[in-house]
Amino acid sequence: MTALAEDTRAVGLERPPLWRRVLGSDQLAGWAFVTPAVILIAVFAVIPIGWAALLSFQANNLLAPAHYIGFANYQALAKDPAFRSAVVHTVIYTALFVPISIGGALGLAVALNRKIRGIRFYRLAVFVPVVTSTVATGIIFLWLLDPTFGIVNYFLHAVGLPQQKFLQDPNQALYCIVGVTVWEWLGFDVIIYLAALQGIPQDLMEAAEIDGASRWSTFRSVVLPLLGPATLFLVVWSTINALQLFDEVYVMTRGGPIGSTTAIVFYLYQQAFSNFSAGYGAAIAVVLFLAILVVTLVQLWIGRRRVYYAS
Amino acid sequence: MPGVSFDEVTKTFSGETVAVDRLSLEIADGEFMILVGPSGCGKTTGLRMVAGLEKPTSGVIRIGERVVNEVSARDRDIAMVFQNYALYPHMSVYKNLAFSLKQKRTPKQDIDRRVREVAAMLGLEPLLKRRPAQLSGGQRQRVAMGRALVREPKVFLLDEPLSNLDAKLRVQMRAELKRLHARLGVTTIYVTHDQVEAMTLGDRIAVMSDGKLQQLGTPQEVYDTPANVFVAGFIGSPPMNLLRGSVRSGRVTAGDFVLQRADVPDGELIVGLRPEALRPAMNGLPSIEFRVDVVEPLGDEVIVHGSVAAELATVSEEVEDAALPGANGLRTEAVARLSPRDRPAEGSTIRLGVEPAEVYLFDAGTGAAIR
Amino acid sequence: MATGQTAQAEPLFRLTVPPEKPRRRLPFSPWHLFLMPVAAVMLVPLLWMVIVSLETASQAQRFPPVLFPHSFHVQSYVDAWNAAPFAHYFLNSAIYSLSTVAGQLLFCSLAAYAFARIRFFGREVLFVVLLATLMVPFQVLLIPTFLIVKKLGMVDSVGGLIVPNLCSAFGIFLLRQFFRTLPIELEEAARIDGASRLAILFKIVLPLSLPALATLGIIQFLWSWNDFLWPLVIINTDTHAPIQLGLSTLQGGHFMEWNVLMAGTVMSQIPILLAFFFAQRWFIQSLAYTGIKQ
Repeated sequence: MTALAEDTRAVGLERPPLWRRVLGSDQLAGWAFVTPAVILIAVFAVIPIGWAALLSFQANNLLAPAHYIGFANYQALAKDPAFRSAVVHTVIYTALFVPISIGGALGLAVALNRKIRGIRFYRLAVFVPVVTSTVATGIIFLWLLDPTFGIVNYFLHAVGLPQQKFLQDPNQALYCIVGVTVWEWLGFDVIIYLAALQGIPQDLMEAAEIDGASRWSTFRSVVLPLLGPATLFLVVWSTINALQLFDEVYVMTRGGPIGSTTAIVFYLYQQAFSNFSAGYGAAIAVVLFLAILVVTLVQLWIGRRRVYYAS
Repeated sequence: MPGVSFDEVTKTFSGETVAVDRLSLEIADGEFMILVGPSGCGKTTGLRMVAGLEKPTSGVIRIGERVVNEVSARDRDIAMVFQNYALYPHMSVYKNLAFSLKQKRTPKQDIDRRVREVAAMLGLEPLLKRRPAQLSGGQRQRVAMGRALVREPKVFLLDEPLSNLDAKLRVQMRAELKRLHARLGVTTIYVTHDQVEAMTLGDRIAVMSDGKLQQLGTPQEVYDTPANVFVAGFIGSPPMNLLRGSVRSGRVTAGDFVLQRADVPDGELIVGLRPEALRPAMNGLPSIEFRVDVVEPLGDEVIVHGSVAAELATVSEEVEDAALPGANGLRTEAVARLSPRDRPAEGSTIRLGVEPAEVYLFDAGTGAAIR
Repeated sequence: MATGQTAQAEPLFRLTVPPEKPRRRLPFSPWHLFLMPVAAVMLVPLLWMVIVSLETASQAQRFPPVLFPHSFHVQSYVDAWNAAPFAHYFLNSAIYSLSTVAGQLLFCSLAAYAFARIRFFGREVLFVVLLATLMVPFQVLLIPTFLIVKKLGMVDSVGGLIVPNLCSAFGIFLLRQFFRTLPIELEEAARIDGASRLAILFKIVLPLSLPALATLGIIQFLWSWNDFLWPLVIINTDTHAPIQLGLSTLQGGHFMEWNVLMAGTVMSQIPILLAFFFAQRWFIQSLAYTGIKQ
């Protein structure tokens, strides 16, 4: 290195001007390129993570100065029956939503993965709800499921079934929300599955056929294992999504009737922004995050042992 | 027009792999220099250091009198043709050619004039509006050359530019490259693993192996007097036959081959016989028994594959790979190039002789030539 | 005798293939029997929304419902437009969506390129931190993000909607993965041609990354146009609300005729549905590529 420096001086020739070397250097370019993103992500992701943890140990009403209260929020949370029922609702919802939407999407994707007349129309019909907003979906189904004027009750009536109260019945409301969200998300899962199905090489199917496999056993022993990665992704992603249920609850039931659809994020929102107990809300957020983390890791751990990755 | 020099240049990757090892090399102004060697020998890394795409770990690289170690690629005023051309796929041929000039904020009319000049020189005029995907391999190659020429660089770098072309186009482009260089006189560094390209194109060639410069010289010098057993095995096609031999009081033997060389001290050595130096044995010439396996007639000559009763010479792995495939035990595969008149029958055993002056001797330990 | 006859009638090997029994076939693929009802279930709610929006208040409030009104009644759209500041909603949503799409494309591209191609001090650490933030859902950060936006004095403003969404770890990650698939020689050629890093990004890398940019843009557009929770938290003034929040206010506020509410709902979905119909393939590819809609 000294040799190089001496040499440069000895030859007496220009190293490029300092500003050019600094501006042209990869160090500067790299940092200049990432700085806006780093600032935004630091302020709106990294700091909030730390702050959420901090808040959960505070009594904070969003207005007056907060003060530290240790684990009091968590202790209260453990004893809070409303929180416990929010957890129960969320778990029931997730346990229904994830298998129904994924199983339904798998069957539907297989049906849609063929060249028959009108297939574009069918696909379109399945995809449209994906772009429809959650608020609009909520409003539409609120009206469809209206106990008095709703078209669903009209159909039940037409086939001679008793009319239902749906979202106004504490025993039915949560299951109605499952149905609505499945309608809403099915198309997304189908898109993922269709992409995966279309990625299966045709010659594999032909090889199975030549090997004498029936269509069903080809599906079970060739197609299904190759859909493993897509399924794992959908399971993880749908679970995370389901644990954060909020929009549909807010629009359709506001957590009711008699609290029967209050889910965790809805409860968090109520605590933080209606009751102004931000500290308590933050404790809920931390618990939710830990739950999501644990569930995701368990799913990935199981998935890694059972899912076959082609490459 | 400046030259390029490497002064004790070393490049290490991730602290351990030595790609280039204390390379010192002077490339004269306007010279056509070839860096040749097997893959992984450091030739491409050497080129990329001149381009500014890699920084030397130590040592000094100069373009002209200017030390460029710290100069970024864009400020070096060099041009490079990449092995796979690296044409910008979203730009027309015209825009590909104009790109570097635009970066320098050259006035529009000047850009247009330069692009059209170069396009005319390379016969690209009808293609200017096309995208690279709409061009044939040969056309892409020309565009890549054109993109380099447009900017009138101080140094012209080519990284295996012909390796993606078919054999016929390659011969054609070789001639064209030579004409272009003669016309423009730009200092040119050309990397190839193909020794035919190296021999035909270069003013001088630098043979590299293991990151080290093995020999530097004109193609003829390198062919006539290889500095060591690696160069001997690498330059020449088919490669030189290398046999294990020994010297006892001025008598060199390798199998049944015997040569008198009073000037060589006793010990082990390697005997090199070029396939084209071998001919049917005549009285008095040193000769070797040759068992013929396969005869390949090429019209003007025949390539004879067979084996000789001598041990395979091994100095380094490259030699084994490049020159002596499938040697086993005391018989070693060998090749001879004969005139069609001397075509032997397959399966026969013949004696092939060689002029004593055309026998190469190398030190068995270091591989260096014994002159 | 009898045995001989049977032997003749039943040769050991048949030389001709027996004619296939004519299979009973439907005149159409049986899959239609499954797909038709599914399509109906998926489409009827949306069709019903449109039909009700074109009925009168009294038609909408009738049981059994009027499934096929004889005449269309556009008054409900006028009523909806007058019942709430829809022009503000659309403008706010447009500003929110377009500026976050622009922000994501710009800031994520810059950072993604640096992470993909430039060696700089601290790159690996930064990237790991980035990936870690990807694991934490926005809902968890709702309260502190609100407090930060409040500290910035941007509560109840469209700006407050926008700032937290100008850049995302997801976008950086998506683009970085794509950039790394581009041949490095193109960038080296551009460097030798005298292009700066910025010129390489904008003139070489980005033009070749249109699929990835479209994906990020579409996802961000969908997400911000349909976003509800974040506006709900920070917007208080009706004229500052984006469309989904406005719609929800319309629904949750004073008593509202269903036909008018449906007209409002139809209006709120028109831009995204139009975009979807015209760029269907892009939408579907984008969703398939990433699997993110929140």
